[in-house]
Amino acid sequence: MAASSADAVEVRIKIGGPAGFGIKAAGQTLARLFTRSGYYTFDLTEYPSLIKGGHNSYHLRISSEKIFSHVQPVDVLVALDEATVALHLDELTEGAAIIYDPDDFDLSQIEGVPDDVCAVAIPLKQIVRDARGIPIMRNIAALGAVLGHMRFPLDYLLTSITEQFAHKAPEIAEQNIACATAGYEHAQTHQCAFPYHVPECADDGERVLMDGNEAVGAAAIAAGLGLYCAYPMTPASSLLHFLAKHAEHYDFVVKHTEDEIAAMNMVVGGAFGGTRSMCATSGGGFALMVEAFGLAGVSESAVVVGLFTRPGPATGMPTWTEQSDLRFAIHAAQGEFPRVILAPGDVEDAFHLTWQAFNLADQLQTPVVLLGDTYLSDNRQSVEPFDLESIVIDRGDLITEGEVTEYARYRVTPSGVSSRAVPGVRGAEQVVNSYEHDEYGYGAAGEIAEVRIEQNEKRMRKLELARTLVPPPQYFGPAEAELSILVFGSTKMPVREAMSWLEREGVAVNLMQVVTVWPFPAEEVSAFLGKAKRTAIIEGNFTGQLQGLVRELCLTDVDHTLHRYDGRPFSPEQVYGFCKEVLG
Amino acid sequence: MPEVNEYITPNKPTWCPGCGNHNMFEALKHALSELDMDFHEYSMVWGIGCHGNGADFLKTQGFHALHGRALPVATGLSLTRPDLKVIVEMGDGDGYGLGLGHFIHSVRRNVDLTCIAHNNQIYGLTTGQASPTTEHLMRTVSTPEGVLEQPVNPLGLALAEGASFVARGFAGDVPHLTELYKQAIQHKGFALVDVFQRCVTWNKLNTFSWFRERVYELDSVGHDPTDLNGAFELSMTTFHEMTCKPHECRVPIGIFYRDESAPTYNQDAPGANRPGYEGAKAVRDIADLIASYA
Repeated sequence: MAASSADAVEVRIKIGGPAGFGIKAAGQTLARLFTRSGYYTFDLTEYPSLIKGGHNSYHLRISSEKIFSHVQPVDVLVALDEATVALHLDELTEGAAIIYDPDDFDLSQIEGVPDDVCAVAIPLKQIVRDARGIPIMRNIAALGAVLGHMRFPLDYLLTSITEQFAHKAPEIAEQNIACATAGYEHAQTHQCAFPYHVPECADDGERVLMDGNEAVGAAAIAAGLGLYCAYPMTPASSLLHFLAKHAEHYDFVVKHTEDEIAAMNMVVGGAFGGTRSMCATSGGGFALMVEAFGLAGVSESAVVVGLFTRPGPATGMPTWTEQSDLRFAIHAAQGEFPRVILAPGDVEDAFHLTWQAFNLADQLQTPVVLLGDTYLSDNRQSVEPFDLESIVIDRGDLITEGEVTEYARYRVTPSGVSSRAVPGVRGAEQVVNSYEHDEYGYGAAGEIAEVRIEQNEKRMRKLELARTLVPPPQYFGPAEAELSILVFGSTKMPVREAMSWLEREGVAVNLMQVVTVWPFPAEEVSAFLGKAKRTAIIEGNFTGQLQGLVRELCLTDVDHTLHRYDGRPFSPEQVYGFCKEVLG
Repeated sequence: MPEVNEYITPNKPTWCPGCGNHNMFEALKHALSELDMDFHEYSMVWGIGCHGNGADFLKTQGFHALHGRALPVATGLSLTRPDLKVIVEMGDGDGYGLGLGHFIHSVRRNVDLTCIAHNNQIYGLTTGQASPTTEHLMRTVSTPEGVLEQPVNPLGLALAEGASFVARGFAGDVPHLTELYKQAIQHKGFALVDVFQRCVTWNKLNTFSWFRERVYELDSVGHDPTDLNGAFELSMTTFHEMTCKPHECRVPIGIFYRDESAPTYNQDAPGANRPGYEGAKAVRDIADLIASYA
């Protein structure tokens, strides 16, 4: 799509090659320096579930104007092997460049390469040899070439290298700088008319570059996280790494457990002691957590659970994305209990919904799920620095010190929330129980019909309280629109991007993002769909899980649906095409 | 400090008359009282099984967890509440069946808690099926031809995984069991007390008289609890055949192994040195963390 104004700059760069070549790290270096120079960035890493071999790619979109998602086209393709060219040929824009090492392959021998492609042959390996560097430094030479090709100042890369290798032997930084500089100079000598020369950006707005998991982790730390337990599972693993790295400095416990069953039970134990406790995983791990998730419900434990979806079922497609666990999250565990499910749609949401999740868990004394996916977890986008002043800690009715009298952990109250005095408080004798129980937590009386009814109703009342506390839906676009789209989660990003393109063409589309997917905002959804001219749901699953909720809880339906379940996120091009199609 | 008879609730124990749980309940109350433990100074975590019904009977600030999952709940509590003594009670089906993985990992991480296993070698609450510690070839409702597996050897497993406190008690000897409990509770690190108890309803083999004819105290034979190899050898004597004569399978009780110098997980884990709720008293300043992503 064309940029919105004549002087706007937008360039899409893709680096491709075999797994194990440091492609993501190289790409993130590029993303960071463009972010620092004032550009908006959004990256997309695609990789198989392999450590070595297989094809990895890193796509970086940079723009002088605000952007909301990745896009498909590629203006500069860095091909670290021959396979990359063929795999991404159909993404190349008119006049796109391919940066490659002629020592790796002969570009002219590859079938289907358009004539107008700008072949930027850079002797990457020779550059590394000349600099007496190690093979991985060819990535740096390639980054230098990307910048040289686009006539972007090299200084940003050199500064980045100096910072990155500040703690290493000085010759390492020197070798990298030599590689970057040589790559840069080589690229400037090519003769083709590349349409995008990227100047320094005039925008000096401060931005940070984070992915969803980094935003969740940072917000959890701010919110007073005391215990994080997890078993590695893509795409949640990077959150474990992030929190483990910061545990000592911020003084909280991180435990890599023997399995997800242990992780969920441990955080319930942590919550029992009054500690803000969280675990996160993907669908398979959550399947193992499910019994203890229900335990958190009946025992009224304040826990936060990250469920970051990848395509299932079973092992599925480990490194890819999907939105197929919405119903799973809503229905997980036997029996009935109140739960809150928040679905962040972008990095900003991921940050703010996380600290709010801890407050909701404490206020409601029940499990709160952060429902994300690989697309959000893995990919970095430039965002305005989060408003840290907005963070508040509300621990609800919690007593951690001193003494209580005539204490009953599960006292029946109008709101359903009982005062929670943790172990160590004098007089707080109680049984926090997986069995149905009476006001004191004793299981024996839990089997009495009246007690069961009383406790069950008390717990379920918290769902009504939750409706008054949870974050509301978000709305984007004009009040009056030709098409009204309903989404949850990360699909928000490509839809917002497509909406901005349609807006430039004078096509009015608006969007409702269901932020709290449970309790489901049926009234708001009904109102949104009810006043719409034409309606659509876009969701990354086969069965239409969000649509099913609309049918069930709003007793209505939408005019159009768009699904995707190939492991890839929706692209804005696809959403744009869908909107054009349904609007005729 | 509470007297022995104060560690009770308004709920009367509902275990079968003659059940070993009554004896273990007595021993625990005595141990807590003799250690001067006030009700807010210790926290009990139970699994599911007949033993777990004790959650209704023992006065505490405790947690009645899922079947097989008492240890991870207790671990989460222990790692975030260094100010509490955390005591787990679990059953043999509960802790050595469904929860066996957690058991081994809890041992090897030497998390600071006391683990009391009610080992009656049968499933009681679910009406008499074979448990992981039911003896080889014993007939039960779920194994009418006899158990074809070797029993789990909890003490041997614990020793193999570097346990820092391994003991076996016998529910038929409350004073001895009380002493074991006291030492286990005072131990820093993971303390296992596996307790042979009878199930008068479902296990007609391993009765109190069966045990009385076979148990002997390790103290009486001069076992050195710092001798790991000796402890291993003793742990293997549990693999007796159901048909063995009393003199053929002697069952040692007492402290098999103890290492007071073993580092605990709690002492070395970042963040585990103070109550976890203290970290949430105010919003943490993450400005530098965010700035590092600029």
